[in-house]
Amino acid sequence: MYYKVSGLDSLIIYFGDTICDDTFYKVNSHYSFLKKENMDGIIELIPSYTTLFIEFDIFKFNHEELFLKIKQITQNNELKKNSESLRIIEIPVYYGSEVGVDLQRVAKLNNLLISEVIQLHLSKVYRVYTIGFAPAFGYMGTVDEKIATPRLATPRKKIPKNSVALADNQTAVYPLETPGGWNIIGKTYLNMFDKSYDNFSYLRVGDKVQFKAIDKKEFLANGGEL
Amino acid sequence: MSGLEVVKAGILTTIQDSGRSGFMDYGITKSGVMDLYAYEWLNKLLENKPNTNCLEVVFGDVEFKVKCETYIAITGAECEFSINEKSTQNWQVCKLCYGDSIKIGKLLSGTRVYIGVKGGFNVLKELGSSSSTLKEKIGGDKLKNKDILECKSFLDLPLKKLQKKFIPEYKKELTLRVVLGYQEDSFSKEEKEKFFNSSYIITTQNNKMGYKLSGEKIKSKLDGIISEAISLGSIQIPKDGQPIILLNERQTIGGYPKIGTVLPIDCYRLAQMEAGSTIQFKQISLQDAIKKEKLFKKSFLN
Repeated sequence: MYYKVSGLDSLIIYFGDTICDDTFYKVNSHYSFLKKENMDGIIELIPSYTTLFIEFDIFKFNHEELFLKIKQITQNNELKKNSESLRIIEIPVYYGSEVGVDLQRVAKLNNLLISEVIQLHLSKVYRVYTIGFAPAFGYMGTVDEKIATPRLATPRKKIPKNSVALADNQTAVYPLETPGGWNIIGKTYLNMFDKSYDNFSYLRVGDKVQFKAIDKKEFLANGGEL
Repeated sequence: MSGLEVVKAGILTTIQDSGRSGFMDYGITKSGVMDLYAYEWLNKLLENKPNTNCLEVVFGDVEFKVKCETYIAITGAECEFSINEKSTQNWQVCKLCYGDSIKIGKLLSGTRVYIGVKGGFNVLKELGSSSSTLKEKIGGDKLKNKDILECKSFLDLPLKKLQKKFIPEYKKELTLRVVLGYQEDSFSKEEKEKFFNSSYIITTQNNKMGYKLSGEKIKSKLDGIISEAISLGSIQIPKDGQPIILLNERQTIGGYPKIGTVLPIDCYRLAQMEAGSTIQFKQISLQDAIKKEKLFKKSFLN
């Protein structure tokens, strides 16, 4: 655990150098604790795979003091194992070829059948490591190595909202129509970004996510769009 | 309804305040006024509470019909400004009467004009801010002709005028002060020297998300990093070696190495620069940077 200066009023704490559960647990337990604590003078907390970013009021803290204070608090309070989110979110996905426009590419690059790609994508429970890039865009990992697929050489100008996609060993749902270079393998009818949700986001950092295959009929019946 | 009627909306006019705080962990960008200096003076002149909303006008050519009795002030870019066809100074409070016509014509120097009224406009707040973030459709849409910007009537306000020494001159050259940080270790001594001794040009790829520069290529030993949070003014160096300075509507996290961070007070000046202008970077110590920021904040505290 060490920090770097990320600006005159912010610091970024590094908990490890690789993406793994152990590092993420450290990030997330510190994030959850500080978020709950709602300390006066802390303006933003942004967790990511291996880091926690903290923006603060310069009239209340300086970098070194704040870092030591956080180290101390978290040591004294032995971050509880259950500070981890207990939410398990199910996301229904229609893996039809008309929406999963890169299923063929993912299958071919990995020497698999399309049905095997889908099975492998469904085979794991994923963790939301971070939310960013766009509002409510949850970076989930890690997918089975057998379907890990590089991003498209040239990103698409538009990826339809609710597309389920893969990039390397990560998976995500596009919350809005944006440009993007991930491989699209299906689509859900659930909105990830909606103003009726808390903080506009269906997912929270730390959530566990299980994808569930649905057929076209169920997809359309629930408002899914082809 | 009491307020300003939009006769000409201009190309890009939006409602802004000091931005959204505390939602970046949900991927929601900060947004808010790009030139906080001009904005803070606007509210101070109008004796508004901090964080009172205003209009941010890019490109000019905006016109309103006044449907109330109130006070207006205009700060930011130097521009043609008239009330009832009578040329008027910006950086001062002016009284408005029912039926008055307000025009902002061409911008003469700078790129963003701020228009504020006493008490602000009565618009919806989302996640604690009325700033429009067009890309993400949070906050209201950009202004359209015939919109009515509701505001209350006010009958009594001192006609304050800002002393000339506080009015910035928007030039075509600017030195940005940088606090080293993040992945600075991944840039060799030679690369850092190159960075601080070269001139860069602002490209046409500049908007509320960030400003892409072009000039001497800078190389990091890292191709990419594990995505992490980005602060205001962060200087990303992508593989092509051309710096990108990230501003109010930046993505919350990103995977390019960063050499350091431009002081917020210098980001406000950068936001008034147009494509083709020249940028240089100068290193400043963290302690000096904090002192300057404190001074800036204190000057607007009362």
